[in-house]
Amino acid sequence: MATLQQIIAERFLTKLSESEDIDGSHIDQLRALLAENRKPKLDDFMRIFSLSSGDVK
Amino acid sequence: MIKLETAHIEEVRGIRKLDIDFRKEKFAISGPNGSGKSGVIDAIEFGLTGQIGRLTGRGTKGLSVAEHGPHVDKVKFPDAAFVELQVYLTDLGKSVTIHRKISAPKKPKITPSGNDVKAALAEIADHPEMALSRREILRFILVEPAKRAEEIQALLKLDEIGAARSALYTAQNRLQSAEKAAASQTKANQDALLRHFQIPTLSSTSLLEETNKRRVILGLPEIAQLTADTKLNAGMSDGAKASDFNKVSVLRDLAAMSEAANGFPTLAKAEVAAVLKSLTLLESDPTLFAALQRRSFIEKGLELVDGPECPLCDTKWDSEQHLLDHLQAKLAKSEEALKVQQALLKDGAVVAQFIVPIMSLLAPVQKLALSHDEPEYSQLLLSWRAGLDDLRSKLVNVDGLLGLKDRLSGEWLDVQTTLLDGLQKLTAKVEAKPDQSATLDAQTFLTTAQLRLDDYREGMRKSKAAKVTFESAEAAYAAYCMVMDDELNALYQDVQEDFSTYYRTVNGDDESKFTAKLTPSEGRLEFDVNFYERGLYPPGAFHSEGHQDGMGVCLYLALMKRLFGERFKFALLDDVVMSVDSGHRREFCNLLKTHFPDTQFIITTHDRVWAEQMKSAGLVTSRTSLMFHGWSIEAGPVVESNKDVWDRIAIELGKGNVGDAAGTLCRHLEYTSRQLADQLGAPVPFRADGNHELGELLPNALSVLKGHYGKAASAAQSWGNQGLRDMVVARRDALSAAVGAQNVENWAVNKAVHYNEWANFDRKDFEPVVAAFKELLDCFRCDSCDSWLHVTPRGYPESLRCACNALNFNLKPKPK
Repeated sequence: MATLQQIIAERFLTKLSESEDIDGSHIDQLRALLAENRKPKLDDFMRIFSLSSGDVK
Repeated sequence: MIKLETAHIEEVRGIRKLDIDFRKEKFAISGPNGSGKSGVIDAIEFGLTGQIGRLTGRGTKGLSVAEHGPHVDKVKFPDAAFVELQVYLTDLGKSVTIHRKISAPKKPKITPSGNDVKAALAEIADHPEMALSRREILRFILVEPAKRAEEIQALLKLDEIGAARSALYTAQNRLQSAEKAAASQTKANQDALLRHFQIPTLSSTSLLEETNKRRVILGLPEIAQLTADTKLNAGMSDGAKASDFNKVSVLRDLAAMSEAANGFPTLAKAEVAAVLKSLTLLESDPTLFAALQRRSFIEKGLELVDGPECPLCDTKWDSEQHLLDHLQAKLAKSEEALKVQQALLKDGAVVAQFIVPIMSLLAPVQKLALSHDEPEYSQLLLSWRAGLDDLRSKLVNVDGLLGLKDRLSGEWLDVQTTLLDGLQKLTAKVEAKPDQSATLDAQTFLTTAQLRLDDYREGMRKSKAAKVTFESAEAAYAAYCMVMDDELNALYQDVQEDFSTYYRTVNGDDESKFTAKLTPSEGRLEFDVNFYERGLYPPGAFHSEGHQDGMGVCLYLALMKRLFGERFKFALLDDVVMSVDSGHRREFCNLLKTHFPDTQFIITTHDRVWAEQMKSAGLVTSRTSLMFHGWSIEAGPVVESNKDVWDRIAIELGKGNVGDAAGTLCRHLEYTSRQLADQLGAPVPFRADGNHELGELLPNALSVLKGHYGKAASAAQSWGNQGLRDMVVARRDALSAAVGAQNVENWAVNKAVHYNEWANFDRKDFEPVVAAFKELLDCFRCDSCDSWLHVTPRGYPESLRCACNALNFNLKPKPK
């Protein structure tokens, strides 16, 4: 049985993939982070969101 | 999940040496206060998790498993304190042995081991909530909604979800601040560009128009279109590009700086006042100030926690979770400080944004001073700019803001007295320079224009990147909150329905329409229950303490079901229904039997009646219950059980220890006589202290059982059930024979009231006494389930039966 944390993480990532406000590479990084760390820290999120999405000129 | 098969406990808490066969079944441990029941719970919890909640929860400062886990006489020899559990892993279908020493709580010896076993036991170790005490159930019921939310979220491991949400929220806020700072910088770069071009608004047409005027002067081709790669000074020789000193533009920069300086005395006055208001509040309230400082300190610690060692003070905790709980609890205590902190950070960030344009204006002036032989003035501006940058960074964090009160109370920009003089002097120097030729003016204009356009473009790029970054974080936080709230609402809906069902099962006699409502909102969890259909109220409003105890256990069970689903196989319930009355406890047995048939509950109670109810209701049997008669520091719990008492007496007699055998027999007789008198409804002289003597109990229990057998035989005959009558008569005859045998030894039995005299017997004198009592007591029990017979209903008996119903004698004759 999936834990509540796992259910929320999976639905969160699905929701993000439907959003146009967030880059696909960010979602991949978040998926990896949530899979390996049940209590991700602020620095983890800051690192992921600060990754260049490559489309800013 | 697990089920417990056996436990061997040595020198842990109040226990010296104890073996219990739990048989993977529901199990009851009863005994008076201080008899060692909770020690068993502690030992099992320790064996499974390496922790003892009683020593590591809130309000346990100064207590630890290492120092207070061993028996008090073994504190200096913690190696002697250990627990060995035989555990059945339900998911893996195999049994393992866990041997865990108090001296090495994190290094249990597990046999057989393996990754699957380790993973299964790690899950158990991660769920200390399987042990529930009365102190803990009240955490769910009689607490503030915010506290309840915290407690329940911790139980359901929602702290992990909460931690992710909190980290996302902080990331979003920090990235929003970064985005605002980048936008301020871009605005300052744009102002510098507009000032140089002397145009009111930024448009490619205006930029190209001014640019092309200069390019024509220099004989360069006009630029038709401004793109991201366009160089305004394209085609100029490197020599021509070397100088960016454009007299007209420089004078405009100097004028802009002077104009800005005129506004310094009133700059951000309202915003600075808001920051000062918070700082003054903190100064006038040292407690609040200390709380805020601690908050900031603890927040840093929470970010740095990585294992059980505190990053703030190096204290080693039992687990990382325990440390995190401790720090979170400290944070929760400073709600008022949190409000001040939020206001400070918001107002500080606004003030910081006023500083960015000043720093942008200073940069070209400082460069100009250096190139115009004003090194001291250049250094002064450089230092001031560095000071402003330092101030800006302090304005966006709590530690920095706390040290700014004096500065913000005065001339907070720290404008140098020589600023305006220096500006005037520099302006005079520039003005004294001959006007640049049209060609030189055009060259320097284009060079400066390109530099400022580059700055603007870089600022724009950073600003856009910061915006994208912030929007990603914002979208992620919003999505997480939405998903989390949806899931939690569904979870609380399930929990409230299960809770209501369980509570109605226990209290169906008077609250058959009971309902409850759990309402989560902004970190709070409102909990209201229906009070006799008069509306929803907090649990502590009108319900009795007993009902509140019942609610606590029912809510716990509902939460555990939600947490583990069908995998909920094990829980330790330590004296959790002490305020629930006798009738409702019987229904509580029914709840555990019907809704959790495959869950092993290990239940302790100090209440003898409740212990017996568990047996008579069939929740436990004689084999799956244990009674502690008392406790001594030297020997630990004095254990009584039906199963092996005769073996133990035989062993003592075999060693010639008549005194020990006599003591064991006497305690057993006292224990069983009390039970038998209670379960059979024997008339006993009233004693307010309940300390009845054997002579007041056993003869009356015998008499009433004989009477019940007589009624049962008559009833069976009246119904024409000859087979049943014969069975009853056989049991009655066996009882009479046993009583006769006992009477043979009456001279000895009479001394049972003062059993010390038994100690003077020799073995041969005492063996017949033991045999007589064993035969007598066997008449009171069922051969199949080993339980004592009891009458039901209490007070007005209609039948005499055992727990398994193999014996069920009707006491009511057929109506004539």
